Amino acid sequence: MTVRNVSRRGFLQMGAATGGGLIIGLTLPGCSFSGALPINRDAGAFIPHAFLQITPDNAITFYCPSDEMGQGIRTGLATIIGEELDVHPHNMTVTSAGSHKDYANPEFGIQLTGGSNAIRAFWGPLRQTGANTRALLLEAAALDLGVPASQLATDNGHVVTDGQRLPYGDFVSTAAGMAMPKQSALKANTAFKYIGSEFTRVDALAKSTGTAQFGIDADIPDMVFAVVARAPVAGARVSAVDSDAALAMPGVRHIVPISSGIAVVADAYWQAKKAADALVIRWEDKPLKRVNSAQVRKDLDTALERGEDLEASSQGDVDVGFDVADSIVEADYFAPFLAHAPLEPVNATLHIRGDTADLWTGVQSIQGAQGLVERITGLPRGNIRVHNLYLGGGFGRRATLTHIVEVTEIAMAVNEPVQLLWSREDDIRHGVYRPASLMRLKAGVSNDGRVIAWQAQRSGGNITTDTLTTMLPAMLPNLPNALINGLSGLAKYVFSQWTVDPSSVEGLHETYDFDNYRVSHATVDHGLPLTFWRSVGHSYTAFAVESMMDELADRAGMNPLTFRLANTRNRPRMHGVLARAKRATDEMVVAEGHHLGIAAHNSFHTDVVEIAEVSVESGDIRVHKVTCVADVGTAVNPDIVRAQLEGAVMFGLTAALYGRIDLKNGEVQQSNFHDYPILRMDQAPAVDVILVNSGGDPTGIGEPGVPPLAPAIANAVFRATGQRLRELPLTLA
Amino acid sequence: MIEFELNGTPVAFHGASDTPLLWAIRDHFRLKGSKFGCGAGLCGACTMHLDDVAVRTCVLPVASVAGKRVTTIEGLTDNHELHPLQQAWVDHNVPQCGYCQSGQIMSAAALLSTTPNPSVADINNALAGNICRCGCYPRIKEAILSVAALTVTDETRAELAYDATAEAPSS
Repeated sequence: MTVRNVSRRGFLQMGAATGGGLIIGLTLPGCSFSGALPINRDAGAFIPHAFLQITPDNAITFYCPSDEMGQGIRTGLATIIGEELDVHPHNMTVTSAGSHKDYANPEFGIQLTGGSNAIRAFWGPLRQTGANTRALLLEAAALDLGVPASQLATDNGHVVTDGQRLPYGDFVSTAAGMAMPKQSALKANTAFKYIGSEFTRVDALAKSTGTAQFGIDADIPDMVFAVVARAPVAGARVSAVDSDAALAMPGVRHIVPISSGIAVVADAYWQAKKAADALVIRWEDKPLKRVNSAQVRKDLDTALERGEDLEASSQGDVDVGFDVADSIVEADYFAPFLAHAPLEPVNATLHIRGDTADLWTGVQSIQGAQGLVERITGLPRGNIRVHNLYLGGGFGRRATLTHIVEVTEIAMAVNEPVQLLWSREDDIRHGVYRPASLMRLKAGVSNDGRVIAWQAQRSGGNITTDTLTTMLPAMLPNLPNALINGLSGLAKYVFSQWTVDPSSVEGLHETYDFDNYRVSHATVDHGLPLTFWRSVGHSYTAFAVESMMDELADRAGMNPLTFRLANTRNRPRMHGVLARAKRATDEMVVAEGHHLGIAAHNSFHTDVVEIAEVSVESGDIRVHKVTCVADVGTAVNPDIVRAQLEGAVMFGLTAALYGRIDLKNGEVQQSNFHDYPILRMDQAPAVDVILVNSGGDPTGIGEPGVPPLAPAIANAVFRATGQRLRELPLTLA
Repeated sequence: MIEFELNGTPVAFHGASDTPLLWAIRDHFRLKGSKFGCGAGLCGACTMHLDDVAVRTCVLPVASVAGKRVTTIEGLTDNHELHPLQQAWVDHNVPQCGYCQSGQIMSAAALLSTTPNPSVADINNALAGNICRCGCYPRIKEAILSVAALTVTDETRAELAYDATAEAPSS
């Protein structure tokens, strides 16, 4: 990392380019595995490159480079390569790729799934790969059949000539001896057969029959089961342990200290769990132990009061803007720490045999998982096979790999195949969190509804620092700990004293034409581990920005959509989505006692407007329906796009109505779904999705549906009650 | 030793009698379709049928199923045929991450076995114990309703078959 040579602005742009504040990929070239492809070759099969295997009997396998956590990426990427290859995704076996540099995300430079970028980043490369492979198969067929390639066509895995359909597999042995074309022509969008059409997900059947294999389902003969007792205050180490009672319990085989706590290994999970509960552990003291939620809120406020904020970005002259504004509105908005709570708690199964290792898990970076096993075991990278199974939810949680460190330390200590599983309590209490955030906004508006001055300050923790701290050891397995610690410390300094972590302030101004704006940031780090949480900074900034926009619309006496239309004239894509949303609301018949709230937000290159229909009945906020209007460019599979928006509404609503992680003496107070509730079916609103396609390549969809949800609800609650709720979760006075 | 019927086959469990049924099924009988989500009966990922009733097995000691019939997602139908709900799940593209879906389907199947034509309120009641973190609720609801409609169709299949051969109405 040559931070000094990068201008401050340039550094920011690097971060912004990665969509979710992921700077790491751009700075760490050449750290991924470049040996033999991790593919088991079937007899006579043709493996033209890392992404495909075609057998003589025309079994076509696609090795999906991104991790399937529900977002439909296996279907999406299979559709993209399948379009140009001319094979319907249902006629391929789609499987998770192993760890290899050829599977690196083209934008991140490492194998990592996140930032809603996989479809966008692989769109060009996988189309080109598919087109080149199809052209090669056609050339091979031309040679074998003795006809010019120009007289051959393809159809769904077959070469078509004179009305005959010959499987691709017939030509693989010839193709294997030929050179791959490099720049075969891509299809015109109007010629797409699979992209833009709707068919079921490639994993729908397995996930409806209990046969889909998740990390937790890895089943190795003679494996033993591990449970770890971790510090109630994050990062604290064991100072004393009494394990006599636990060791005497049935089935318990080993009790071993590891870096994060004490591991109990038993013949069955249940035995390990009971024994772990019987451990008596004293933990070292940490500064975090003196932190309570009320103190966090106060510290965030103090940092802004003291003017500790650094400028992140600005344009025009904000002070002049405030001078000429017809009215000025100021407000504070607060969002708490949140846990991800994927339904499958994190887990990993590791089998070390001699100088090889097999790891079964479900993570958002198998490259990182492989790197950690390499780092801890010292085995050569090529001897470590990582089998990435389905992820039972990700939402950012599975980019943090502390469970891989744990399982490796345990397997090294006990010399048996080990399955490590976190309990739900472990997940809620010992996780990595969405940072608590205070946003202080001040905006000046003219009587004709133009925002002419916009000042947005945010205080809270930075996720990039913590992410670097956990990712550097994984991505640079050979770098000594001292250097890792130095880089982590440097990152902490850089992002608190010198420049602003882009993901801390993303979304504070980008949706609108603010001629005069200033965004600034004050870092307040309490030591609770932080990370990406579905939509990252946007998850809190949109709440502040869109609540404020609603207040401003009111001040200007304008319809909230008309007001936003007036402030997006230079943003045609969002302007179009707002116009479509306006038409939708104009046509809505709103039930007696129901109120509409709207919010708009641009994130991950996608524009979304959400319209919530809400009532407030006997002190309860009830959400009846949410209409999502979105422009994702070309929707690769429109039904999966709709599903992502439906799911984002539920995810956003959970956070808006219930989500909070509280600290008392540094300990997370919530522990399971009784005190960290998740939206249930009887509270789920209807969701109507309207896709606006302004053309162009696909943009992100996994995350952009989340940010506008909370402010849309809050704005509807204001219409219903006159109360402006400026803190999450939304609580009526 | 605890004896019970698992997916139609008599089985015996020799481990600790306070072991939750879920772990007996997953770790001992190696059936992995039923999932662990909370360990507290709060999320429904572990839902199985006990004598045809949906139960949360992460908090159900295996001792309490002695002599009873336990059905998991693997035994939902005979001969590995798809249950109409499973077909509906595929047709409606219900699953996202998919982790909760075994539990969702087991709860829905128990509902339909007693209430073949449920109302939306019936569905909400029967599935309120099953969390879907991805938020597939609208599709789960649609899928269940489509199977309920199919039940009606089955009952009137003869009539429909007749109609299909009848002369198309002129328009």
